[in-house]
Amino acid sequence: MSTPYNFAFLDENTKRMLRRALLKAVAIPGYQVPFGSREMPLPYGWGTGGIQVTAALLGPDDVLKVIDQGADDTTNAVNIRRFFGRVAGVATTERTADASVIQTRHRIPEIPLREDQLLVFQVPEPEPLRTLEPREAETRTMHALADYGLMHVKLYEDIAQYGHIATSYDYPVMVDGRYLTSPSPIPKFDNPKLDRSPALMLFGAGREKRLYAIPPYTRVESLAFDDHPFEIQRWEHHCALCGAGDSYLDEVVVDDRGTRMFVCSDTDYCSQRRDDATEEAA
Amino acid sequence: MYVAVKGGERAIARSLELLAEARRGDTAVPELELAQIRQQLRLGVARVMQEGSLYDEDLAALAIRQAAGDMQEAIFLLRAYRTTLPRFGYSEPLATQAMRVRRRVSGTFKDVPGGQVLGPTYDYTQRLLEFGASAASNTVEADEPLATTMPRVLDLLDAEALIERIDPGSDPEPTDLTRDPLMFPADRATRLQNLARGDEGFLLGMAYSTQRGYAESHPFAGEIRMGEVDVLICPEELGFAIEIGEITLTECQMINQFHGGNGVPPQFTRGYGLSMGEGERKAMAMALVDRSLRCDELGEPAYAPAQNQEFVLSHSDNVEASGFVQHLKLPHYVDFQAELSLLRTLAAQQRKAAGTEALA
Amino acid sequence: MMLAAFTHPVFDSQRNFRELLQAMARPASPRTLPVLAPAPVPATPAAMAILLTLCDTSTSVWLQQADEALSQHLRFHTGCGLVQTPVEADFALITDPTTMPPLDTFALGDPRYPDRSASLIVQVEAFHANTGPRFAGPGIRDVERVRIDGLPERFWRERVALASRLPLGIDLYFVAAQNILALPRTTRQLED
Repeated sequence: MSTPYNFAFLDENTKRMLRRALLKAVAIPGYQVPFGSREMPLPYGWGTGGIQVTAALLGPDDVLKVIDQGADDTTNAVNIRRFFGRVAGVATTERTADASVIQTRHRIPEIPLREDQLLVFQVPEPEPLRTLEPREAETRTMHALADYGLMHVKLYEDIAQYGHIATSYDYPVMVDGRYLTSPSPIPKFDNPKLDRSPALMLFGAGREKRLYAIPPYTRVESLAFDDHPFEIQRWEHHCALCGAGDSYLDEVVVDDRGTRMFVCSDTDYCSQRRDDATEEAA
Repeated sequence: MYVAVKGGERAIARSLELLAEARRGDTAVPELELAQIRQQLRLGVARVMQEGSLYDEDLAALAIRQAAGDMQEAIFLLRAYRTTLPRFGYSEPLATQAMRVRRRVSGTFKDVPGGQVLGPTYDYTQRLLEFGASAASNTVEADEPLATTMPRVLDLLDAEALIERIDPGSDPEPTDLTRDPLMFPADRATRLQNLARGDEGFLLGMAYSTQRGYAESHPFAGEIRMGEVDVLICPEELGFAIEIGEITLTECQMINQFHGGNGVPPQFTRGYGLSMGEGERKAMAMALVDRSLRCDELGEPAYAPAQNQEFVLSHSDNVEASGFVQHLKLPHYVDFQAELSLLRTLAAQQRKAAGTEALA
Repeated sequence: MMLAAFTHPVFDSQRNFRELLQAMARPASPRTLPVLAPAPVPATPAAMAILLTLCDTSTSVWLQQADEALSQHLRFHTGCGLVQTPVEADFALITDPTTMPPLDTFALGDPRYPDRSASLIVQVEAFHANTGPRFAGPGIRDVERVRIDGLPERFWRERVALASRLPLGIDLYFVAAQNILALPRTTRQLED
């Protein structure tokens, strides 16, 4: 299909700007690189940062997977996949294992990623300190000085008040022991997958005009205290469809009496497990 | 048996069909032509060009039609298109003092050289709905020809050294906010660029707040002028400027009282607003907010929202704001689930604690 | 006569970028650049390929040996600005490492903006994986060993001295024939 637009929508100057910024982001793990975010044909807050990163990465040989909430079939994931199908003509897949580039919102796939895969996160608010300090001039200085006392105080106050750190998603991490970083609004269940990941992870915040990266095999620690170690969510249930007991579960209301059922949020993981089970049975 | 929801692709396709149908409406009614929009909705076109940061009346008209008259959607369409346009160069600074003026008013002097020129304004229309077809337009003859050049009102004060001097030659090379991210603190040229692209409604509210005590601004409308200005570029290979066309602009220069401070003597100070097409409300609001954001430079106490540059500049853009406010309708069920489980844990703890107390 | 640049600018740049990205993400590990570009001396085709992939009108480049044909070639194909002093450079092309300026003469970035720092493209004789000095840091699972031929002795001392300035620093791309190898500022050379 011919379109009046360049391959992957962005012009080459814009791609070069993004690529230079991405290389600096990788060279300074967890540091937010300002970049000349462009106005994309999808709204800010709907993945424009991730889309720009993906556009800077994609080539004709790539196989792209896009997930939102862990699912390939949520409307915004479908729309972003449709966009790249249209402006780059790349192959797309729903299978994590088959993808060379995975763009995600709010989840990390359950099956471990490989060295030859790239994970691109959509980030609404790249600054982990923003809710504690709205002024960018101040938070920049805190990062420069590695002064993260404000965050530690917040977490400590949580413990004093609730007996817990009351953050369940977008749980802050320290990258390579230097920069306090937002993992994007993934549930803290996914935080351990960030630590020493074989795959390079790239983060794009379009509206806030920042990029950052976590290189492979990089130390990523979720903030915690010695007497309050970091813990992930656990369920009493298994997935009602595939029986998985190790995946992040969505709670689904199935009738008007409020009956609940729990199913995998990672739809590819769930369907692969069910396919495998069917094969074994046959 | 529960089946995971599928069919996002098909749902989107159907939604697009419904949208196309709703946008077009009854096909017995002729579709709007772009020339009609460009001519008869020219103020809407001007706003879309201004906040879309692209001076092209035809594209703005197309965007308004495609957006079914939703101005912010039309602005968004134009911005997204603009991203794909190559940049051939930068124009020379526009010479608004050489504007071919069609409207020019000053609130600070009863009369000024060149006169007060009302031009095509809604100001004195009395806002009575005019039922029936609008009167066929006739060519309006001017009572007397307008002066070919009109000195800017503020230049008259400048001659008397009563108003702060500005030396455009000393301005640093401005950053281009469509290419480089906004950084804080932002200099005045960058702030003005942001305000120029900013949402008219947001700026209007901010400007209004400065008049109601949230920042002491004491403004006077020194001059508002609207008309046509030549656009010049200076290609490197030529070495001299050539005219590539003209655009319609509205410029507002506010005059603000200033008692001195931060090493600056008592004098009038300036607030500046500029808008593509006829955009007087926007230009005036912009000028007021420009002035309030100069508080640091002039040593004024900063306590009001309209004096806080991070607050104003980070929230002025309606494409950013609209996207982020509306992204809340995207699924968030993974994070919601995380919050649910946290809340259940906290509630269980509280019940347990209450039970322990009751026993004790 | 002016030499050509990439045959397929969009796709050649993209393929090279992906290798550069992996090189930076997996330091001290040699990779192969997929597409080279004709280069006037003293630049090599691999160094030119990196410059064409990353540089344009918004980039400042410093050439250690600002040969006229090379300068013209770069300006024509990328539109980049050529700067006179190392400290102004976003990218610097080192064509003779033995006489290169000290590393701290390049921009190291600002504490609030450490990304405003130089990237150096250093043409070396060769590199040999799995032998020589050991490196560790982000991107490296355990340790990587690599020996880089053609660098002056002082180079490593200067680089170690910069480590105390982290997260300020400079990022290095070494090229030899068709191979590249990156050393970001965070990669530490381990004591033997």
